[in-house]
Amino acid sequence: MENAGPATAAATEAPDEGSGPVWRFLIQPRWLGWHLLMVVSFFGMVWLGDWQFHRALSGNGLSWAYTFEWPLFAVFAVVFWAKTIRDEFRIRRGEIPDPRAVAAEAESLPAGVAGAVQAAGAVQAGAAGGAAPGEEEDAELSAYNAYLARLNAEVKHHGRWHGLR
Amino acid sequence: MKAAVLRYRVMAYITGVVLMVLCFVGIPLQIAGYPAVANDVGVVHGILYIIYLVCAWMLARGLRLPAKPTVIMLLAGTVPIMTFIVERWVTRRFINPALGEGSGQAQPAAGRAGSLKP
Repeated sequence: MENAGPATAAATEAPDEGSGPVWRFLIQPRWLGWHLLMVVSFFGMVWLGDWQFHRALSGNGLSWAYTFEWPLFAVFAVVFWAKTIRDEFRIRRGEIPDPRAVAAEAESLPAGVAGAVQAAGAVQAGAAGGAAPGEEEDAELSAYNAYLARLNAEVKHHGRWHGLR
Repeated sequence: MKAAVLRYRVMAYITGVVLMVLCFVGIPLQIAGYPAVANDVGVVHGILYIIYLVCAWMLARGLRLPAKPTVIMLLAGTVPIMTFIVERWVTRRFINPALGEGSGQAQPAAGRAGSLKP
């Protein structure tokens, strides 16, 4: 399995209570692509660390710093990835409000805000599709309105994002 | 959230400056036969980049950025000048909307949207 690395680490973290299908998003093509990228970069960084280690052994003092740095980056990659997947599990279980869903939900708000929220959804979905940068001022205004709407929806979770968890 | 933004910004600028010194001073000197600057600044950048990674990651998580902008933010610390460009972009595109600090028009909107609370 190509997603053997960080993916399984996060999967074991997730208890069974989700009754199965929750984890299915992990095998969507988009996620598989990310898994593959993470696994390749993980082993790439481990390999670079190993290479620096051998350079250090053969007398290149500077390489000692990189001998430890590359494996550290590899660990970062795993930790970041595991947390990303855990967040996604939480969103899908409804423990955290989904930013996209909240934006859609806010469409039912009064007129002035509805259109705004859609634009903000585009801002949040960001990389996925790419929001039109053309309507900049409107997007900013809308983004702010959507942010307020989202804050409303999130009050219960207040404090969660203020620092390290 | 503001603290996370500040941490990210400070690290983006420090890392960016050190990386520019490395690339535009250290490497020419190294080519000219004086590798000391590149070696030392290289190690410093390596350490700063680790801190930058943590700060950028925490901000990206706080803002709940999608994967791609997150990766762009993290990798920006390794490309000369890129930290500055990405910092501006992230500020305009994600930080300001999240903090409600849009330019101009956002202010009247604040009252309008604020009154929506059920």
